[in-house]
Amino acid sequence: MSATIDRGLNALREQIDSPVASFFSSCVSCGLCAEACIFYRATEDPKYTPIKKLDLMRRVWAREFTLFGRIGGMLGLIKPVTDEDLTEWETLVYDSCTMCGRCSLVCPVGNDITMMIRKMREGMSAAGHAPVELIGAAQRHTDKGSPMGDLSKAIHAQVKHAIDETGIEIEFDKEGVDYMVILSAQEIAEFPDVLSAMARIFKKTGVTWTISSEAFEATNVGIQLGNRDVAKVLVSRVVEAAEKLKVKGIISPECGHAYQALRWEGPNLIGRTYPFEVVHIIELLDRLRAEGKLKTKGKNTDRLTFHDPCQINRRGGINQEPRNLMNMVSEDFVEMESGGTMNWCCGGGGGVGANERAEKLRHAAFKFKKIQIDKVEPDAIVTMCAYCHHTLDNVFEEFDIEQDVIGLTELVAEYLDDDA
Amino acid sequence: MANTPMLAEMMKTHGISRRAFMKYCASLTSLMALSPALAPRVAEALENAPRPSVIWLSFQECTGCTEAITRSHAPTIEDLIFNAVSLDYHHTLQAASGHAAEEAREHAMKQHYGKYILIVDGSIPIKDPGYSCIAGISNLDMLKETAAGAAAIVSVGTCAAYGGVGHADPNPTGAVAVSEIIKDKPIINVPGCPPIPVVMTGVLAHFLSFGIPELDELGRPKAFYGNSIHDRCYRRPFYDKGQFAEGFDDEGAREGWCLYKLGCKGPTTKSACATVKWNNGVSFPIEAGHPCLGCTEPDFWDNGGFYKPLSVPAGDYRDAGLAAVAGGAALGAASALLAKAGKTKAAQAHETVDAHDLEKSS
Repeated sequence: MSATIDRGLNALREQIDSPVASFFSSCVSCGLCAEACIFYRATEDPKYTPIKKLDLMRRVWAREFTLFGRIGGMLGLIKPVTDEDLTEWETLVYDSCTMCGRCSLVCPVGNDITMMIRKMREGMSAAGHAPVELIGAAQRHTDKGSPMGDLSKAIHAQVKHAIDETGIEIEFDKEGVDYMVILSAQEIAEFPDVLSAMARIFKKTGVTWTISSEAFEATNVGIQLGNRDVAKVLVSRVVEAAEKLKVKGIISPECGHAYQALRWEGPNLIGRTYPFEVVHIIELLDRLRAEGKLKTKGKNTDRLTFHDPCQINRRGGINQEPRNLMNMVSEDFVEMESGGTMNWCCGGGGGVGANERAEKLRHAAFKFKKIQIDKVEPDAIVTMCAYCHHTLDNVFEEFDIEQDVIGLTELVAEYLDDDA
Repeated sequence: MANTPMLAEMMKTHGISRRAFMKYCASLTSLMALSPALAPRVAEALENAPRPSVIWLSFQECTGCTEAITRSHAPTIEDLIFNAVSLDYHHTLQAASGHAAEEAREHAMKQHYGKYILIVDGSIPIKDPGYSCIAGISNLDMLKETAAGAAAIVSVGTCAAYGGVGHADPNPTGAVAVSEIIKDKPIINVPGCPPIPVVMTGVLAHFLSFGIPELDELGRPKAFYGNSIHDRCYRRPFYDKGQFAEGFDDEGAREGWCLYKLGCKGPTTKSACATVKWNNGVSFPIEAGHPCLGCTEPDFWDNGGFYKPLSVPAGDYRDAGLAAVAGGAALGAASALLAKAGKTKAAQAHETVDAHDLEKSS
């Protein structure tokens, strides 16, 4: 079995449902989505208009699901979608969209364009038109447990390091605790300090937790790839591990699409609800703050701003929580223009960051993003997504700019009141 | 009643002071939405107006309009106006009957030909003249005959103005409005079921002072029918806030909230009810807790149920609409079935994708 155009078109047909039909029917071609898209704004090339990226799916819908389209198709007015079409659209669907969700928010008729891009990727990936980097990551994730390969040794080493550093015990596979923590590969490889931060905060606030040695990977390449079969396999691993450990909840780490995959797509992928809650780490920290369990001492005096990860804020609903925490630990917290739900994407999400072909576009997007950052001239940018963190670090380095980026969990842990 | 004494003389005989008369003229002027500067002109016009001859014809009606114009206002100054005009023919009010009554009409018509005012209440049946006759003359014939010599016609009440209850579906008598029959005379419509008494007298006063008032597209004097009841309703703030009574005995009804959801036709009804009010300015239906029926509008009987909100569709187009909806639904359902079949087929053809078969074989 291999990827073919027929399999791709069939996958697209499976994705066309009543919301898609009503979205396509109600699009008034106003072009407002273009103005909302970081890739259009960065390049001003009209082909990056979000709804245009969905043209092939619109054609399949019109030709096969509408009366007039069917007649038009018979008369040869609407051409069938070919493999060449898919090749042409591949860069639009994968390189110029981080599925940041800004276009969905501005659409005057309420079309969820981002959701349709996600659906269109189903067809593209099934037809063999996904970027090679994502396919490779999906294979590694399926076979070895993580998109970066086998990180079992790495996670054990990082946990040991955190135990040594904090003197707090972290147990793997401990049944019946409050939460099972999962981590993104990015955190394990690049920002392992978050483990010590969590250990200290949870110790102080009385939260019990564990890590599953079978399913510690939070990311889900299936979501970025746009393939529900792959995504289902990966999300099932986490769900099954949590059920086995009989935890009350899973803590989704500072990773955008991991939250999207487990919290929002997961139940639909596996076709049932979870017997546990999924909570984002920042959501949990703010809850502990509100309950009076999380106490801090002192404040950071630097000029700090907050970068909202698209999948956690705009598409995930966590907006006020990080701000509560920022105000708790920062003396000079400044909001960026369009900060919050309309924040501009880092440019690396939705698989774009892993896609080498998209580098030029990514850099163009960053130049646009940088205008937003420069207006507040922060000493450091705080965020709650390891991949935003990674992307921003990389582009700043690429352009030789000195700019600190900090994870919010680590920042909070830094000001944890040890005497309370 | 053939002599034509001036209004001023009539006032004196009725013991009305000049001051009371000027006060009346001022309030009449404001009621007619005229500039206060015009009050003396109204007084002058009324004072110097000869008692014009008025012929009042009642066709298919319930006498409600007459009841309204006479009983509720006696003995106010409006009464005087009616004493001041020479009411030469009116079924209900005249003492004469039979041949004597008809003779009075014919006499007045002959003597004031081209000058008298014709007031009509009630609709005219045109299906069969036998449905409504007076002194052996069909309503249609009497109207045509009397209208021929009239200076102007005032259609009082919704029946005369728009056909009213007689015209309501299925309209067994073929009832029509005066304006459907008479095309060559100025017609002032004073609709309402019944109209507000002071509006009826006001329109007559305007006619005496300034001639035909400015009319809207439905032939109604703009001075009295210029605003919707909704725009002037004291319950309007509740509508704006979205506070509605949902039943006649619920909390909203007790709190005096908007009656829109109970079928109030105020938003589409133009009348002075909310400002002039009834029973000498005591109240009006909405103030009494009942939704407006919309009685000053054509075909208000057929405009859906009285207790159905305006947003609920009514009328003949319902059937056409239902047919269109049914047709569209059938077409849509057929199309949807095809689409669904396509989708089901696609779901059946789904091959589970594995991370290892994401690449093309070639």
